[in-house]
Amino acid sequence: MKLKKEIKFFINDREVIAKSGETILNVARREGFYIPTMCYLEKVNPIASCRLCLVDVEGSKGSILSCQTKPTEGIKVRTDSEYLYKHRQNIMKLYDVNHPLECGVCDKSGACELQNKTLEFGINCQDFSIREPHRQIENWGKIQYDPSLCILCERCVSTCNQAIGDDAIELKFGGYGSAIVLKDKTSQTLECSTCGECIAVCPVGALISTDFKYSSNAWELNKVPSVCTHCSAGCEIDYEIKHSSTLNHDAKIYRVTNNFENSSICGAGRFGFNFANVPNDEQNAKNLKNKKFDEVVNAVKKANTIIFNSHITNEEAFILQKLKEKLKLKLVNHEAYNLQKFLGAFSRSSGETLPNGKIEDVENADQIVVVGSRIIVENPQVRYAMTRAYKKNRAFISYMHPVYEPLLNNIVKQHIRYEVGTEEGVVALLSEALIGQVLKFDLDVGYVSGETNVGEEELARIYQIGKKSKKRILIVGSDIIAHEKRENIARFLGVMQKFSNIKILVVPEELNSFGVAKICQLDEKATGKTVGYNITGDYIISALKDIGHFSVPALNQQEGTIIDINHKVKKLNVAVSFNGQSLNDIANEIFDPIDCREYTIDRTRDIFNVDFDSLENIQIDSQEIEIDCTEMPNEISKLPTFDGTLVYNSRTYLEFNPFSAFDKNGKFNYENNLLIGSEQFATAGKIADGDEVEFEILGEKFKRKFKIDKDMRGVIALNPIFDKNLKAYQLSSSYKFQKVKIVKVAK
Amino acid sequence: MSLDAFKNRNIGSQNYVPVNIENYPTSGWDKFKQVVKRGVGKELFVGLWVVLREMLKFKIHTVQYPSEVLPIGPRYRAVHKLLRLLESGNERCIGCGLCEKICVADCIRMDTRVDENSRKEVVEYSINLGRCIFCGYCAEVCPELAIVHGSRYENVSEQRAHFVLKDDMLTPIDFLKQQKEFSGFGALSPNADQLVKKTPLAY
Repeated sequence: MKLKKEIKFFINDREVIAKSGETILNVARREGFYIPTMCYLEKVNPIASCRLCLVDVEGSKGSILSCQTKPTEGIKVRTDSEYLYKHRQNIMKLYDVNHPLECGVCDKSGACELQNKTLEFGINCQDFSIREPHRQIENWGKIQYDPSLCILCERCVSTCNQAIGDDAIELKFGGYGSAIVLKDKTSQTLECSTCGECIAVCPVGALISTDFKYSSNAWELNKVPSVCTHCSAGCEIDYEIKHSSTLNHDAKIYRVTNNFENSSICGAGRFGFNFANVPNDEQNAKNLKNKKFDEVVNAVKKANTIIFNSHITNEEAFILQKLKEKLKLKLVNHEAYNLQKFLGAFSRSSGETLPNGKIEDVENADQIVVVGSRIIVENPQVRYAMTRAYKKNRAFISYMHPVYEPLLNNIVKQHIRYEVGTEEGVVALLSEALIGQVLKFDLDVGYVSGETNVGEEELARIYQIGKKSKKRILIVGSDIIAHEKRENIARFLGVMQKFSNIKILVVPEELNSFGVAKICQLDEKATGKTVGYNITGDYIISALKDIGHFSVPALNQQEGTIIDINHKVKKLNVAVSFNGQSLNDIANEIFDPIDCREYTIDRTRDIFNVDFDSLENIQIDSQEIEIDCTEMPNEISKLPTFDGTLVYNSRTYLEFNPFSAFDKNGKFNYENNLLIGSEQFATAGKIADGDEVEFEILGEKFKRKFKIDKDMRGVIALNPIFDKNLKAYQLSSSYKFQKVKIVKVAK
Repeated sequence: MSLDAFKNRNIGSQNYVPVNIENYPTSGWDKFKQVVKRGVGKELFVGLWVVLREMLKFKIHTVQYPSEVLPIGPRYRAVHKLLRLLESGNERCIGCGLCEKICVADCIRMDTRVDENSRKEVVEYSINLGRCIFCGYCAEVCPELAIVHGSRYENVSEQRAHFVLKDDMLTPIDFLKQQKEFSGFGALSPNADQLVKKTPLAY
């Protein structure tokens, strides 16, 4: 089996050491030897289609592929020779055959690996050619595929399959007529989560973004490193900016790119970047003390409550906390409040302040259980880690959620659709199955299993797998945090962390819930006059374009820090300017002089004791707390039942919040005013595909077009809510399953 | 190599003609003598005679600008022009952005987008004449001979920008017939056809 041994061998006559599992290419790159590659990507298994990485080994016949070969003791590897250069030149000549000479208009020009390697190997004329078959440009929605530019390196196919898990494209073999095709032959458009990772990894201009197409040359764009703000993962991304047009010098974001070699981002992050805010007309930037500014300062001064959500930076949260102390008002943030309650109960049972799971733990796990999270949209990064865990270690993944998720079929072994509202029972049963040997729970398994609809055979399977798995992780999502019984569920999870090697990963709904929960003292209910910060209230301060009474910069217009689900502090940078006032300016009007700071990021020092500019690699560590006795979970008395028509207030693959719903022209363009359900739901609700329906959730009226999705199952329909802009936050921070009365609108 | 070779001021036996320049007068009296000699001596009348002679001959060399304009060489680099294809009248510019990149004064900007035929369209193109140093790199790098230097050096307007927006530079479609092929820097050499290497076709 695995030998933890170091292997000594030679590259170009220098002795190098390979750790276990490393290939020759890995070692060469680490040691600074250059081996050209075209198809190699760190995040997937070696594809071995380009054959550029061939190296010579002394004494052996022929050359070997360095990307997939592991070294043996004492071999002498040569990475360059006359023969290898000729060989690589020949490969490049083949790649260049009939490659359209449209670099002048190609989006990839200047950042094209084919261009680079062609120049590197001095291919300046074409000695041969082949008759070109007719090739059609395919339009797959956000993604466009041009087969005549494709060099068939298969990076996109491997990424889609091994790093993302959508498995939506494949290679059609056919000699010179080979191409990338959709796996689902019946469909014209791409049936996937539209992460756009295939665009990122494509070394040439074959796969491009239709939004970005022909809008700018790659070399004109400046990269601004920042963090994606759409979910709790906090992925590192680069905003690529340039002047808006020849006559408008203000910077504009043209696209978002990522380090595709070893990480992936989702479609919301890649395509939903155009949410920069503009000040209201009355907010004159030149004159700071204007009428509008006085109005907002007065509104804050007179308010009894500030309501906000966790779509903010730590610095903003800190200012809100200071405002609370100064003005003696209430701070309300439903999701972070729930998370605080959850973490409080969790720490009283586990003896540690924070759950110990990290995304890396998911990637290395043998057994993964997901409860109460539609993880595919709630945190795509965790889902990618699950995919890699499955592809690398054949991890056993149980996905427990009332809504069936067809795209997870590729990696999930066990789909368990529990009854809505019974999360407490589900977690109790899981605790029984996973650590029942160590700890006795007072649990009526038969009753709970019946009520939750989680079968005892299924639990037995989880128990069996758990027995032989070394690395186990349990992922809990926002349905648990928003659940009424969150504290009892947290106790189950707490004892699980304490008494077993199972790691717990908590995935909150919003970007910075952990940060807000750490910094702010929150209140449960709002009273009196309210000021909404990025959420509805009597007076609305908003970073969302065209909404609210007073505009503040959006998250790509300000510097600040956030805390991601790995409890790591990450930095946001300014991509687009904002000519107006921020929360800090409002607070400076109210605070005592000692608390005033010129810029928002001056408050980073107040929070983390480090200046913003020198802040790097801060990890919020879990601390052990002294507890007299472990708080044990309560007995489960009665589980709630949700009968009737149910909808799930959900994100869509591309729209995670109102901020991700801006199109390339910066218009709020929310396309999904649909209610998506299965055929079963249609029969039960007596509605048909295309019907206009109306219903009401927590006082918010919805008008939707019903659409049948053939891949869906069960009687819960998906209701994307973010066309309601800031009002939707109220729905997304409460329990997402809601009972509704659907009324068909007569035509 | 030492610097001695450069320091050698021995001009040798070349065709140099030493000019005999009188020493400057130093005393006041010498200066006065020089003025009188030049003012009323024959030097004054030599000049007057040359002018009178040429006037009587009616052989005047002055160019009657602006009613008369001298022809200008193809390599002259005046305000830019954007050319069209002669046959179809389509714009030559494909929006590759090489001129934008090569411009040493960083004065070229362009906006591109996808047009109705899903081709790359240049919506706006501008040159900041306040920065342009008329180096000619843009014309030289252009793969389509679309941006070229014109020969128009008379520019009068309230603003420099009036000459270098796309509409000002682009050949008007009615004047397509009058459009002249550019032959300055970056243009094809007369024997370009012979220099093209063709890809051998296997079929």
